Amino acid sequence: MWNQLDTGFGHWNVFVWLCFFVIVSGFVLWVRSLGRMDYKRNTDQDEIYWSGNEVPDDGAKISVPASSSYWGFRVAMEPLYAVLDKFHSGNASDYAGYFVVTVALIGLLVLF
Amino acid sequence: MNWHDHLPAFLVMIPLLGAFLTPFAASFGKTARNAFFMLFMALTLVVGMLLCTATFDGGVLVYVMGGENFSLTLPSGMSYPVRILFEIDAFGSLLIFCISFAAFAGALFSIQYMDRFSGWKRFMSLYFLMTTGALGMSATGDLFNFFVFVEISSIASFGLVAFWRDKPESLEASFKYMLISQVAAMLLLIAIGSLYGKYNALNMGALSSMLRSGTLERVSLALILSVLAFKCGAFPMHTWMPDAYAEAPSGVTCLLVTVSQASFYGLIRVCYTIFPAVTQGGTVGWILIALGCMSMFFGVMMAVVQHEIKRLMGYHSISQVGYMLLAMGVGLLALSDGNSNGTVAAYGLTAMKGGLFHVVNYSFYKGLLFLCAGALYYATGTRDLDKMGGLARSMPWTAGMFAVAAAAISGLPPFNGFVSKWMIYESSFAVHPLLPAVAMITSVLTLASFAKVFQAAFLGPSKAKLVAVREVPYGMLAGMAILTVMTLLLTLFPGWFMDNFFENAARALLDRQGYIRAVLGGM
Amino acid sequence: MTDTIVDTPSDFAGNAAYVLVAFLVIMALYSILTQKNLIKICIGIAVLGSSVNFFLVLLGYRQGGGIPVYYLAGAKKTMVLPTPQCLTLTAIVIALATTALMLSLVILIHKHYGTLNVDEIRRLRG
Repeated sequence: MWNQLDTGFGHWNVFVWLCFFVIVSGFVLWVRSLGRMDYKRNTDQDEIYWSGNEVPDDGAKISVPASSSYWGFRVAMEPLYAVLDKFHSGNASDYAGYFVVTVALIGLLVLF
Repeated sequence: MNWHDHLPAFLVMIPLLGAFLTPFAASFGKTARNAFFMLFMALTLVVGMLLCTATFDGGVLVYVMGGENFSLTLPSGMSYPVRILFEIDAFGSLLIFCISFAAFAGALFSIQYMDRFSGWKRFMSLYFLMTTGALGMSATGDLFNFFVFVEISSIASFGLVAFWRDKPESLEASFKYMLISQVAAMLLLIAIGSLYGKYNALNMGALSSMLRSGTLERVSLALILSVLAFKCGAFPMHTWMPDAYAEAPSGVTCLLVTVSQASFYGLIRVCYTIFPAVTQGGTVGWILIALGCMSMFFGVMMAVVQHEIKRLMGYHSISQVGYMLLAMGVGLLALSDGNSNGTVAAYGLTAMKGGLFHVVNYSFYKGLLFLCAGALYYATGTRDLDKMGGLARSMPWTAGMFAVAAAAISGLPPFNGFVSKWMIYESSFAVHPLLPAVAMITSVLTLASFAKVFQAAFLGPSKAKLVAVREVPYGMLAGMAILTVMTLLLTLFPGWFMDNFFENAARALLDRQGYIRAVLGGM
Repeated sequence: MTDTIVDTPSDFAGNAAYVLVAFLVIMALYSILTQKNLIKICIGIAVLGSSVNFFLVLLGYRQGGGIPVYYLAGAKKTMVLPTPQCLTLTAIVIALATTALMLSLVILIHKHYGTLNVDEIRRLRG
């Protein structure tokens, strides 16, 4: 079989998954078809609702920049990120130092 | 005498010839230059594919350089080979498959991507040399020759990372990469020299047959292991990777990914084939697992908070390499648990197959991701995700291909990335339940950061600064399409690839005696 | 001829050269890790390369060995090993190429950053 994969613990067949996606998308389309079709085009019902404010023309003013996403994650992990930022110092001598220290550590581990 | 026998020589000869013919071809104008570039890349691809099919049946191709006969490994009654020889088994041809495809796609992409810049002759020569180095690394059967190919590909990549030499960042990235790389290369040479001093042999098969465990061997293994782990970007030594991957032109980054895979090949070859006497104890397996887990976790943690698209992907490369190191470490552990006659516990074989599957997957979808990032840079002139937005409307093809690659790298079923990761989870669970836990957390964070990239770059309202953005030219789309098609093929027919590629490659890696016998004859 | 090949001498005089190699490697690493000036770091890399080449040549040495060219060796039947010398030649060429490339990068970095201090060349971080 070209699409069946036996991993030694179980099986993987991609077409089972594709069938699953076809069924699920059929279901999704069905749910969507239950929606209201009686809204009026080209009226205020069509407009984007932005907390009652006027929507600016430039999208840059209403989009969340990528560096702000996962802000909470970053804040929650601040102690780890403080260490990681310090680690990636950008200093070439530091980087060479990490390499030499790692070589020494691996050497000690392999040797004993 | 059959031309088919000379394929291993052609593999390195064609790109090397291309590198030195480039200045002549470039003097005939732009069209001739581009045609020449693509012709030689296509020839390399064809030779690579032919070599792959030649090793499908589990055979080992041996080619002696500079001998009176290409198949004479032991001239005039010598008991060990003295000449440089190429030795390609199913594992090596797996890497050749990845490298030649990625090199071709990157070249096709670069033709229009680099069109606005000068210095094309140098770019093409260096690109050819880097391909030569990577292909040579996965084809050679000689340790010193391996070092030479490592250096060829490294020096070419220093040049290519610093190709935009008017940008201070690319110079800085190149210098940092070069500094650590040179220290590493010299340590590698010390290790190879020490082995030569003790065993009077540089051939991998001959060394493998003679090697006994001892202090010198342990030190050499530690040096080779850490140097090659550095080259493929394992955690505490990964710092060059996001810099170099981000600053190199995108077509080059696509190839750099596979060059690091060639180093990974060397690492695995050394651990499995040359040093089983030392790796028997299981320490080395655990070192690989530890390096893998650290690379996975810290790589992805750094990636989540990046907002520069190629730097983010560079950090993801570290975490992806972590998966392979984990898988191969588990395989090595299973090998040292098993009997000495080459049998291995079932979970070890699954881990190895999963790891090799991941090598191929990673080469294709990661190359594709970098090409997509390059396309975004080409179209918008920025790599900062904060300044992008709503590009799916103007660049539908790029958005679609990026979505495929992002789903594959995040391990969303039914894409190929899921299958290989799943095999790694299953098999590493047999060693310790914590290992798949780390791998799954990594996978979740990978999905999170690629959701962020897709949202920031392609979705959302259009920005006023980006209204003039158009889809990239067809040549670039074609380069990306090749890798997309390969990713989709791996997704749809994992069983076929498993039976013909990964199963054979894992068996070839385990069949140490077969590797030795191909060089030394019946022993 | 095999019986005339003797092992590398294990006396003090034989090992002193290896101690020198180790000393050179440590000196080079010291300069790479602690020096702030890019040129001095490059010198460290060059010293590291030379020490490794020295090590390779040393590996091939056999006590009292002649040159490894059969028709020039004369009556001497002990020869030093030719392979490490070939390795060294290759390694020298590689070291030359990398040193040249590295120095040219340093020149360009100086042009852009206006400094050779490694602490100040760190725009790529985090």
